[in-house]
Amino acid sequence: MTTTSNTNDESLRQEVKAWLAENWTQDISKELLNEQIYWEVSAARKNWLKKVVEARWAVPSWPEEWHGRAIANEQASIIEREFAKVRAPGAGQDRNNLWANTLLAQGQQGLKEKLIGPLLRSEVNMCLLYSEPGAGSDLAGIRTRADKQGDHYLVNGQKVWTSGAATAEYGMLVARTNWDVPKHQGISFFFCPMKQSGIEVRPLKQITNESHFNEVFITDATVPAENILGAPGMGWQVLNMALAYERSSMGEGARGPRSGVKQTNKEEPLINLAREASRLDEPHLRQQIAQAIAYKKLNALNTARAKADLSQGTSSSIMSLGKLAMSRILHEEGRLRTEILGAESLLEGADHPRAEDANFLSLNAYFTSIGGGTDQVQRNIIGERVLGLPKEPEVDKTIAFRDVRTS
Amino acid sequence: MNTLSSEERNALKDSVSKLMSDASTEAEVRRVMETAQGFDSDLWRALSEMGVIGLITDEKFGGSGVGPMELEAVMEETGAALLCSPLLASGVIAAELLQALGDETLNADLMPRVATGETIASAVITGDKGCWTESGVDISATAFEGGWQLEGRGNYVLHAQNADVLIVIANTESGLAAYTVDPSDDAVQIEALPTLDRTLRIASVRFSGAGAKQINATRPVWEAVSQALNLALVALAGEQAGGAKKVLDFTVEYAKTRIQFGRQIGSFQAIKHMAADLLVETESAISAARHAASSLADPSSHTHEAISLAAFACADAFVRTAADGVQMHGGIAFTWEHPAHLYLKRARANAQLFGSSDFHRENYLKALGG
Repeated sequence: MTTTSNTNDESLRQEVKAWLAENWTQDISKELLNEQIYWEVSAARKNWLKKVVEARWAVPSWPEEWHGRAIANEQASIIEREFAKVRAPGAGQDRNNLWANTLLAQGQQGLKEKLIGPLLRSEVNMCLLYSEPGAGSDLAGIRTRADKQGDHYLVNGQKVWTSGAATAEYGMLVARTNWDVPKHQGISFFFCPMKQSGIEVRPLKQITNESHFNEVFITDATVPAENILGAPGMGWQVLNMALAYERSSMGEGARGPRSGVKQTNKEEPLINLAREASRLDEPHLRQQIAQAIAYKKLNALNTARAKADLSQGTSSSIMSLGKLAMSRILHEEGRLRTEILGAESLLEGADHPRAEDANFLSLNAYFTSIGGGTDQVQRNIIGERVLGLPKEPEVDKTIAFRDVRTS
Repeated sequence: MNTLSSEERNALKDSVSKLMSDASTEAEVRRVMETAQGFDSDLWRALSEMGVIGLITDEKFGGSGVGPMELEAVMEETGAALLCSPLLASGVIAAELLQALGDETLNADLMPRVATGETIASAVITGDKGCWTESGVDISATAFEGGWQLEGRGNYVLHAQNADVLIVIANTESGLAAYTVDPSDDAVQIEALPTLDRTLRIASVRFSGAGAKQINATRPVWEAVSQALNLALVALAGEQAGGAKKVLDFTVEYAKTRIQFGRQIGSFQAIKHMAADLLVETESAISAARHAASSLADPSSHTHEAISLAAFACADAFVRTAADGVQMHGGIAFTWEHPAHLYLKRARANAQLFGSSDFHRENYLKALGG
């Protein structure tokens, strides 16, 4: 145990507490906590994040030159906990800011100076240019090309499942820079400027009747050479690092119901729904409700244990389980809400909020079980990287990518 | 009650783990499970010297005086090793029941011997219903010549055939009461029952006018029983989590070495995906068991919720892991020589002790306010 650092820990805790007490005022917290925006950042939130970054609470484990305090993860988590206690956003970005973490680890000095600050303050909008129509689960099979021309790359191809593409200033892009080596070795990773004529964004309509995703058509778009992350041909390694950040955050939360009708009590939503439907006394439903709530609770306990392991300095394999667990939780909750409602679940729309919520949750569960790597890919990853099981033989592993078979 | 630091707790866990790998090997488990006694006296003494039998017994009665978190940690190790012993029956349930009942005179005499393992105590709680609720008590006590007499049958009593003293819960005209009974009394008939899980020892106990001493309980008797059962559930959850992890470990190892179709079978997604799902189950069980233990150690927390959750989550995880483990091995695990069936049987037995998963799921929902 670190008895020497305990006094430091306590003074740090008091420092965060005092700062929050002074800055996280009732007015600010009220405004930010009542926001119902998922896909953009309000001016109030940007102002708040600016303060958090200036006070060096956003990325405390990072070096001081990048807005950090160069303290251990264990101490950084003290700050995160104090922020969480009062539900103030902006802390813990050294753990969960996908864009800033990737850039800090792999970017060139000039690009870091230009973008790290704005990313931490959410002043720059970002999107992911990973998947393609021909490269979903087999992400290393991308065919978008980036060809070096003097001080920039010329990019051509098509990306899909890009949320926020229309408002983004930059996209994290993977593109093929070498077609004469096996598929994993010819990929490079870029911060691609989105506001240019070579980028065309078209919304995709989802099974939920919403359009949060886009297709992105890239025709002779240019990317400055200094916007490459990692060395040319090392993009797969950069991508894997970025994907790990993305997946770990997907295990921690997901969207809830969208009807906007707020439950007035603090009861578990499934218990509440069954009570409203006068079905809480049915034993087979009670069993399923208890089990569904248990899945959720167990995942929360796993996440807490993983974080405790991390703060004690041992890495935890449990973190990688969260996304798979979360997709079961969401599918099960959607299914069970539907079962509780019975025929009422045939309906939709604002006049039928309970059915709307059940159906939305059932359909949107695929966002988690497919997006960011399907459950099946996730099981491969857990099997191979956590349990150490051997990979399936890969027929395209060693041949030049231009010779690989496509559908 | 003292709670150890996590370093001290890990050290305790490690020393138990080492003892298990020396003295509760698969060969030993197989030998001991075929004996009438069902546990090894030398190993029982070693557990005593390590302070494991008296782990949760108060220091004033010669125990280690630690709490549920330490017990859970130890049980993860004994569960992984399929330890055959009256630890749960005597060192956990009977000891905690005696402490909860609070008869200081009795405890001063009896508990030091239970804490060292010199005396094996076993609690008779449920009858033929096997439901471990107040309504399951099937023994009645009547006052007789200044003492008490018991009539009726207790069932599914852990290690009753090895017990030196029985702690019996019985109905009286004025409600539930607790008694000590000498099992060698002629009016006590103990029948050892054959069990699917041969590492377990269970008996039925018939009382036909057996003499009994009433325990001077300082609180409602069922409250004391509940406290003992809660600790038993935490211990069992630890055992189940440890057992599940062990099965997953040796199943994954097998999947890396078994070759079919010219490949390790673990390279097939059919196997790999089962293993990934079992890892979710197993890690969840470990989280649930430890959470229940820390919750029981902290009186201000939602103890019922945490224990009910662990009770069904750990039971189901162990059964599923052991069952899928057999399937993933294929034919080899259908043989008696392979250890997979020992874990499957332990998992199935554990899942029925102190209430089924359905029972605990129902309790969980109630604890959540549903």
